[in-house]
Amino acid sequence: MVAQLFLNGLVTGLLLALPALALTLVFGVLKFANFAVGAMLTLGAYAAWVANTQLGLSLPASAAVAAITVALTGILSDQLVFERLKNRDSISLLVASMGLSLVLENICRFFLGNASRSFDVPISRPMRWEGLRINQEQITTALTVCVCLVLAHLLLRHSPLGRAMRAVADNPSLAATRGVDRRLIARLTWALVGALIGLAGVLAGLDRSIDPQIGWNYQIPIFAAAILGGLGSPVGAVVGALVIGIAEEMSALLIPTNYRQIVSFTVILVLLLFRSNGLLSAKAVRK
Amino acid sequence: MIAYLITIAILVIIAALIGLALNLQWGLAGLVNFGVVGFVAIGAYTTALTAPAIGWLPAMLLAAFVAAALSAGLALLSIRLEENYLAIITIGFGEAVRLVILNEGWLTNGALGIADIQRPFPGLTERFGGDIVFVVFAIGVLAVVFVALEGWTRAPFGRALRAIRDDATISAALGKPVFALRVRAFAIGGAVMGLAGALQAFYLTYIDPSQFSAIVTSYAFMAVIAGGRGSNVGLLVGAGSIMALLEGTRFLKDFISVIDGVQLSALRLGLIGVGIILLLILRPQGLVPEARRKAADVLAKPREAA
Repeated sequence: MVAQLFLNGLVTGLLLALPALALTLVFGVLKFANFAVGAMLTLGAYAAWVANTQLGLSLPASAAVAAITVALTGILSDQLVFERLKNRDSISLLVASMGLSLVLENICRFFLGNASRSFDVPISRPMRWEGLRINQEQITTALTVCVCLVLAHLLLRHSPLGRAMRAVADNPSLAATRGVDRRLIARLTWALVGALIGLAGVLAGLDRSIDPQIGWNYQIPIFAAAILGGLGSPVGAVVGALVIGIAEEMSALLIPTNYRQIVSFTVILVLLLFRSNGLLSAKAVRK
Repeated sequence: MIAYLITIAILVIIAALIGLALNLQWGLAGLVNFGVVGFVAIGAYTTALTAPAIGWLPAMLLAAFVAAALSAGLALLSIRLEENYLAIITIGFGEAVRLVILNEGWLTNGALGIADIQRPFPGLTERFGGDIVFVVFAIGVLAVVFVALEGWTRAPFGRALRAIRDDATISAALGKPVFALRVRAFAIGGAVMGLAGALQAFYLTYIDPSQFSAIVTSYAFMAVIAGGRGSNVGLLVGAGSIMALLEGTRFLKDFISVIDGVQLSALRLGLIGVGIILLLILRPQGLVPEARRKAADVLAKPREAA
């Protein structure tokens, strides 16, 4: 039982790792918390659902559609919204991203309604191993996320783009004097972030039914994961996501499962009270 | 038609109360609160649960008090945090309230909600018809709250909050108790949200968790941004025009038959999002900008004197 919950938690955590990484990257490079992360995840799930069930594409192809759709949405919202607000206080950006979240969620609702949907994939029996039940979806999720994380790591650590992103995150004006184009980096960051969130949306849609609230359900865990790891720290976000995923699933041992969602909230609250910089380093949290 | 106008008036009043509360917390004190709906729900449920036992006025006061106490508690824990963190904490609080209401059926009757809430003044209601009495009562509540908040805005309390919002470090250096003032602003805002919840419970005479979705919070933000952060008069204008727009678009369904109810509500909510973004970009000061006082307004005017 405990081992099973741990395993489920590990997979939930891996699922959270992608959007948490996305959140932390936007915060690091563009200096605001993107409250539209949940709605972007919803958009990804729906984009893949349309590609999968309406256009008849295979699931990997649908996932690619989702990643591209959300990446383009990210670039577009940067162009139309965030770039125009970049000189305002961070609360304006925060509230604007909340507004964007309403827009995206309701675009999905407008075209596809409130009904719960699911992908057109064959139902497979869970595998049994040493008394553990392992779903096919869990293996898909774990593999996809691990590949994405390795690629993201290589991109951030060992590519010119990653170097430029870290430079802008560290000191935008210094990066500009060294010829790093902030606009280009912002757009590429949104493309990367959008792809990560879109894929997470597909994985979320495999895990549960797709409805307009699907992303909102992950909103608090995503923030909890990113804050736990220290906003702005990519490695921290992944570690934070694993901790939150495991804590959420294991909480079933202690509290009624109805209250699972309160776990992330409690983690954030306690963490901010006692170790306000996150587990790994982070920017100042206090005013 | 009159009945419909009264309904809109009451909805506007409830929205205006919530907006005024958020305007104090966010507009004046600069504290972002994405958990607005949680405090409204707490007010509504406190009223619904206690009004039969202790009467409507004590129940309303209790609703304001409970919401204020929880606001103060949340503020004590989290108000030192930078706004991104405060935002997610307040979202979490709102969700936590929703979960408790849904799951603690013994207290709140879960998803079924509480029905048959008695409105104030049952005697008068029988003589003049229910909604007319209620709209007068609601206007009274709004007037009292508005006068109180406007008074505080002009008082040293409001000035100190504005100073803290604009630069907390300087205010602290000038000896303002930054933390205590922020907690007070948050608590007063919470109390007003609780009152709004109480009015909603009385008006609908029925409450359930689905009335308290994150949409309520979005409306409040839209109202504050539209009206102009920090301006109470602007807030009334903002809340009034938004609710009028929202309610007006209900009729669209009669003219446009291609969209169904779900699509219409999605369209309205999406437009709220678009509105928030556009106003932030194009008119960040709002329809009625907060009056910016200069030192010269307060001090004697030397040029005219000379």
